[in-house]
Amino acid sequence: MTNEQNQNVYSDATQAKGEAVIELVDVDKFFGDFQALADINMNVGLQEVIVVIGPSGSGKSTLIRCINRLEKHDRGRITVDGIELSDDIKNIQEIRRETGMVFQSFNLFPHLTVIDNITLAPRQVRHEAKNDAEDNAMALLERVGIPEQARKFPGQLSGGQQQRVAIARSLAMRPKVMLFDEPTSALDPEMIKEVLDVMVELAEGGMTMIVVTHEMGFARAVADRVVFMADGYIVEVGTPEHFFTNPQEDRTKLFLSQIL
Amino acid sequence: MTTTAPAPPRETSLDWVKKNLFRNWWSGLISVILLPLSLYLAYRALRFLFVTGQWDAVRVNLTLFMQGTFSRDEQWRLISQIMIFALAFGIGLGTNSAASHDRAQDAGLDVERGTIAGTLARMWSLVAFIGLLLFFATTDDMGNLINPFLFVGGGLVMGAVGYQARRLPRRFRNVGWLLTMTFLVIGFQIVSGFDAGGWVPLGIIFGVSAYSIAPVDRFEASWLRGALRFAAALIVVLAIRAVYAAVDTPGIGWDDWSGLHLTLMVSAIAIVLAFPLGLLLALARRSTLPALRIMATAYIEVIRGVPLITLLFMGQFILGFVVPQDVTLSAITRAIAVMTFFSAAYIAEIVRGGLQALPKGQTEAGQALGLAPPPIMRRIVLPQALTAVIPAMVGQFISLFKDSSLLSIIAVLEFLGVRKIIHAQEAFRGVGIAETLVFVAIGYWAFAFAMSRESQRLERRLRVSR
Repeated sequence: MTNEQNQNVYSDATQAKGEAVIELVDVDKFFGDFQALADINMNVGLQEVIVVIGPSGSGKSTLIRCINRLEKHDRGRITVDGIELSDDIKNIQEIRRETGMVFQSFNLFPHLTVIDNITLAPRQVRHEAKNDAEDNAMALLERVGIPEQARKFPGQLSGGQQQRVAIARSLAMRPKVMLFDEPTSALDPEMIKEVLDVMVELAEGGMTMIVVTHEMGFARAVADRVVFMADGYIVEVGTPEHFFTNPQEDRTKLFLSQIL
Repeated sequence: MTTTAPAPPRETSLDWVKKNLFRNWWSGLISVILLPLSLYLAYRALRFLFVTGQWDAVRVNLTLFMQGTFSRDEQWRLISQIMIFALAFGIGLGTNSAASHDRAQDAGLDVERGTIAGTLARMWSLVAFIGLLLFFATTDDMGNLINPFLFVGGGLVMGAVGYQARRLPRRFRNVGWLLTMTFLVIGFQIVSGFDAGGWVPLGIIFGVSAYSIAPVDRFEASWLRGALRFAAALIVVLAIRAVYAAVDTPGIGWDDWSGLHLTLMVSAIAIVLAFPLGLLLALARRSTLPALRIMATAYIEVIRGVPLITLLFMGQFILGFVVPQDVTLSAITRAIAVMTFFSAAYIAEIVRGGLQALPKGQTEAGQALGLAPPPIMRRIVLPQALTAVIPAMVGQFISLFKDSSLLSIIAVLEFLGVRKIIHAQEAFRGVGIAETLVFVAIGYWAFAFAMSRESQRLERRLRVSR
């Protein structure tokens, strides 16, 4: 491949198609002396699905946790849906309302039933009436395929069901963007598919998503762009086909050879 | 086709003895030594209770033990108070338990529903205490029995009656806490009196509920809804104030309390006040504001480093620094204040333990949903953290209840202190000292044990979802 072609693949992929919903400019993040994120420049377009992969400790989770301010970045600018992230709590909450997040360990509220888990935020934050919130919650549970579990407690559900409830809980706030932090890593193998199916459906429905995952099949099938990170840097960005068939960087090739 | 293994042979009582008492040579040896020893001790205890014990000191003074030197003409106040309080607690527990029962049932969890028989079985130590009171009542002295019996037995019965609130239909259960609070205030004021100025607690309770349940949803403008809510609350408060102004009957302050009544009341008041204070201290200690954090930490560490008895002695001087000079506080007021401030420090540490044990992911999930810090604390963190520390918390309440016996050395005549009067009586000077002590010990144990059992149940019920 010629240098010129490389350049094309690359520049194609670094830019979002159309309007950018999330923009990160020169973002650095330190934990003490350890640099978790270095010089991150990235943007995510409307309805785009970005899959972030990389070895553990490469800063993938930190990256998406900075976007909704679960971690505070030290330098650079992060903009979500036109709102720049600042230290102002009102501003942070506004951004958090626009971004749903799904965690590796589900983090459902164990003392609340499934339906209460889902309606808590809409009722508290959006001040929805109880009936409206519950109707919406039931519709979401239908969508993730477990309406019959509405009155149960999280502890009674399987891991896959819990993660689907967690997705429904995030969707209940009608976010513009969904962040997934290794959503299938804590699941038994037979349950991974049911969660991925929900995510695929979500992507096909036009949701803007950033997904940190080790599920290469999902990345290949659904991602618009794949971001590869190592040691806090974004090493390479590309469309799935280029990324998996023709990676440019040695670090990427090494990683792919280890996992595929 | 499936084959089932044959059922294991039934265990005979001989097998049980073999398995549990003579499993091997040393357990057999221990059994051989302990069995006769425990039988002998049981024999001595029963002999003391029925034969050698000089129980007249207790028998004659049962009423004194229950209400101490409180005016006999006014004892109806105390008895009504105990009964109303028991009713309030019963309603609170009943509605609460019914609500969680329904939730568990909706979730398809298998939970038993509470029954009166179950409640009495759980409270068997109190039932046994009543039995002891009955045992002391002789046929020639029934009058002496009525007060103590009403005192403990009446409380138990009213508690059971209140517990029936669990049968209320679902939509009425929300009034459970309102009834509980109302009865608590009325029960308190039946002794302290319904003065014209006594409208404040009920005014707050009903004002707040009027504000929150005022039917204003059909109005669009939020300022209008707010104004209507406020108006509803104001009307309710003014009405309550008017009722109190009309009644305006003085009662008896708490300075005259004594005996078991004082012990129970001081403990209950100190528990009720110390809990929110301890909660606030725990939150302050974890606050991001350094001034708040340092002050809370200093308070907790100082209080925890000083013995309660020292604090009780110092109560007079310390409180003298913070209250205006012309205000004189009775010994009981000071005692309640000191016990509250003391317990709050311990409760703060218990709550902090619960807060720390909660996985960080819970808070993060709340944050990620866009919840503000107060609802995260109220809806997500505290319910879980407090459930986790119920055993430690009740342990603290029980120790506060027992520590109230220290009040006898600052001239407050509580349950244990009543003995001083009894043994100053002509007939019991130096007589029945062990017997009165044993009686007091059994009394303390009966209540402490009941608290502990109730906490175990509460814990089981709140964890039913885990």
